[in-house]
Amino acid sequence: MKILIVEDEALLAMELESEVEDAGHEIVGIAADSKQALSLIEKVSPQFAFVDIQLLDGPTGIDVGQHLASRAVPYVFVSGNLKRIPEDFAGALGAIEKPYTMNGLQNALQFIETIVSGDVRSATVPPSLVLSPNLLAALSA
Amino acid sequence: MKDDPHSRQNAKDAGQRLVSGHASEDPFAAAFKATRMPMLITDPRQPDNPIIFCNTAFCILTGYAVEELVGRNCRLLQGPQTDSAAVDRLRDAVASERDISIDILNYRKDGTKFWNALFVSPVRDVSGVVIYFFASQLDFTNIKSKEAELARARHLAEEEVAKRTADLTEALRAKTALVHEVDHRVKNNLLTIASIVKLQARMTDNEVVERTLMSVLNRVEALSTVQRKLLNDEDVGHFDVADFANTLMLDKIGALKRADIHLTTDLHEVVVPATKASPLALIINELIDDAIGRGLREGGGELHLEVKRLNGHFLIRVVDTVVPVEVDGEQAAFSKKMLEASLKQLRATIVRTVDERRTDVRVTLSVKD
Repeated sequence: MKILIVEDEALLAMELESEVEDAGHEIVGIAADSKQALSLIEKVSPQFAFVDIQLLDGPTGIDVGQHLASRAVPYVFVSGNLKRIPEDFAGALGAIEKPYTMNGLQNALQFIETIVSGDVRSATVPPSLVLSPNLLAALSA
Repeated sequence: MKDDPHSRQNAKDAGQRLVSGHASEDPFAAAFKATRMPMLITDPRQPDNPIIFCNTAFCILTGYAVEELVGRNCRLLQGPQTDSAAVDRLRDAVASERDISIDILNYRKDGTKFWNALFVSPVRDVSGVVIYFFASQLDFTNIKSKEAELARARHLAEEEVAKRTADLTEALRAKTALVHEVDHRVKNNLLTIASIVKLQARMTDNEVVERTLMSVLNRVEALSTVQRKLLNDEDVGHFDVADFANTLMLDKIGALKRADIHLTTDLHEVVVPATKASPLALIINELIDDAIGRGLREGGGELHLEVKRLNGHFLIRVVDTVVPVEVDGEQAAFSKKMLEASLKQLRATIVRTVDERRTDVRVTLSVKD
């Protein structure tokens, strides 16, 4: 998958990039604020995104997420405070809570791959990924 | 009709007749005159129901001389702040010849106010005709002002309570915001520490260095999982051991990507204070990693995890069935050290039973300590 990372902490973004690449994906951009994120979404057309909520220009990750959802790009939030996520998850598949572990991230990523490829039923949900109400409903349907 | 000299004379005469009807040694009349309770009598058969007699106590209360009172209607005690509804009730009672007991604001001759607990009662002759009205007064201004004082004090107290409540609400809000801020920083720092260690592990060509760094990362991540699982709301500063253990195990086993690991659990909520969370997390981390290192990673097998209460104690149990493989001696020694330190910290006991390929480890500790 072509993946976009929206994260304001450079070190965390860098490490996430390595993890995701190790899992066989391509990072097409890293944005530290919402403006950068929105322009990257236009430019590189990612197939998936990790979105932190608190960015350099404030808690604008939600806006970025809504923009991704409006363009039908699947994404997950990555945040230390999951309570900031709106009830409907702003169109996100789910959320990975910080501080995630290497194993937790890998398990979540594998699950996401399965979901994004359209295979909704076969995967078991790892505890490191909190599912959105929509995805939860789709899985239990 | 107020100051008509003729009617005043009539009232005086009526009073005289009333008094002369009683012998001077009449104890009732003497009592009426001498009592400290202000009292008066009016004559409803005369125009405007004038006072025909009043005692000394009434004169003292109102500041009027007897001569100023006899012949006048009692309304001379009323003033601008007298409640007109109370006056109406009084008038109705007199007109319908009923008893009435009423609190009314009256005025003395010098214009000062007093609260009057007034009682008025008709006096009938043998045929039942009302011939007099009897009235007694009681000055309860002191009580009334104490009531007002109490009401004022209550009002002040209520204001103070409202202010304190607002202060406390604000303090609580600030405290909650602070807890969230600190929680956020701790989470970010833990992830940053993990990222630093991982970054260096990625960059080294030395297998031992990499293994060592990953071993450090492993423990840091156990603590990261604790921080995620710490309860921040109603049960702030607490931690559910079972929920943590399950998450940690699923994280680790999931990452092995083996279909031949059979997991079973017997998990029950055990909530402990946050101070115990880290050593507990490290114990569970070492036990699961031990099972993974001894054979689960290489050849799969069975893993059973148990967290439950046992009267006054609680049990953490990890049972594995694996085909044993050789373990790294240095890593095993380090793991043993971590386990020992954490067990000591919690004053926990450990029993390890090995039966061929099956290893059963039981850690028990007191819930209360």
